[in-house]
Amino acid sequence: MQRAMPSRRAVLAASAVALPLLVTGCKGVQVLGTPPPPPVDVTVLRAAIRAEEVMVASYTAALTAGSGSPTVQAALADVLAQHRQHLSQLKARLVEPGADAAVRQPPVRALVLPASLAGTLHVLESAELSASDRLVADLPALPPALAQLFASIAASEATHAPFLTASFARAGRVAR
Amino acid sequence: MTAPAPSPGATSAAAVAAMQAALAAEQAASYGYGVLGAHLSGASQQAASTDWVAHEVAADQLETLLRAAGAQPHPAAVGYQLPFAVQSAAQATALAVLLEDRVAQAYLAMVALSDTTLREFGGRQVRAAALRAAAWRGTTVAFPGLSAGDLRSR
Repeated sequence: MQRAMPSRRAVLAASAVALPLLVTGCKGVQVLGTPPPPPVDVTVLRAAIRAEEVMVASYTAALTAGSGSPTVQAALADVLAQHRQHLSQLKARLVEPGADAAVRQPPVRALVLPASLAGTLHVLESAELSASDRLVADLPALPPALAQLFASIAASEATHAPFLTASFARAGRVAR
Repeated sequence: MTAPAPSPGATSAAAVAAMQAALAAEQAASYGYGVLGAHLSGASQQAASTDWVAHEVAADQLETLLRAAGAQPHPAAVGYQLPFAVQSAAQATALAVLLEDRVAQAYLAMVALSDTTLREFGGRQVRAAALRAAAWRGTTVAFPGLSAGDLRSR
């Protein structure tokens, strides 16, 4: 009697089911298994780094656009410098094994900035406040020293919003 | 805003010490604003008054937290030695900045606690102090409450 051949799909499914048994049955196979997910604090730190990279890209784009008075340009440059400091401090706390993680990351994209100065201000302010809230919400997941850094950065980013508002208002270009 | 309730029975000696330190910073800030407000006028004086109220409210919240943790809040001193003489609006503004920086620094100690409720309370208060400091300073800083030495040692 001829036995029915299993479909390819079934073989793949069977392989997936069998793998855990192999992994548990032979220590030598463990290296082939899926790596465990990173600890929560690593995931949170990576997200914070990514968010800072977006902020750096966005302020760089706003400066490159060259709109606004020298007062506005100076304010944008000040805030950009602080985001670069935040990024530097956060990156210093994450050791990535090899370059794999960087390769896997999609490219950083700046926020979409409207053509108008008022629109740019609105987008940047909203981004700052959202970033600050996110960092404070992350505090429970972090070890103490990293939590303090996050809290300090959250505080700094919250101050960027009123600082930008005041700077843009001083420049007299934005009616609010 | 009402103070959050700390986890029952989980408040450590370190948590009580951090809350007492934050309370002391708030009490000193309240005293300082009472002094510096007298050297300001108009909108600046109004801002000083608003900030003084914020420190009083925060001190009340810390006292509530301490009592909930079974600790007795330390009373405010009758007077405080100011870090420099305040005889002008510029000196008053400089004192406000200094007081807020110290408050932010004190709350960062609460952020390092294991109790997540106290940690988040500390984080929100660091932010509030930084916002007040930035308003007085007229600009922002990258790491409120942290010194360059703090950053190097982390």
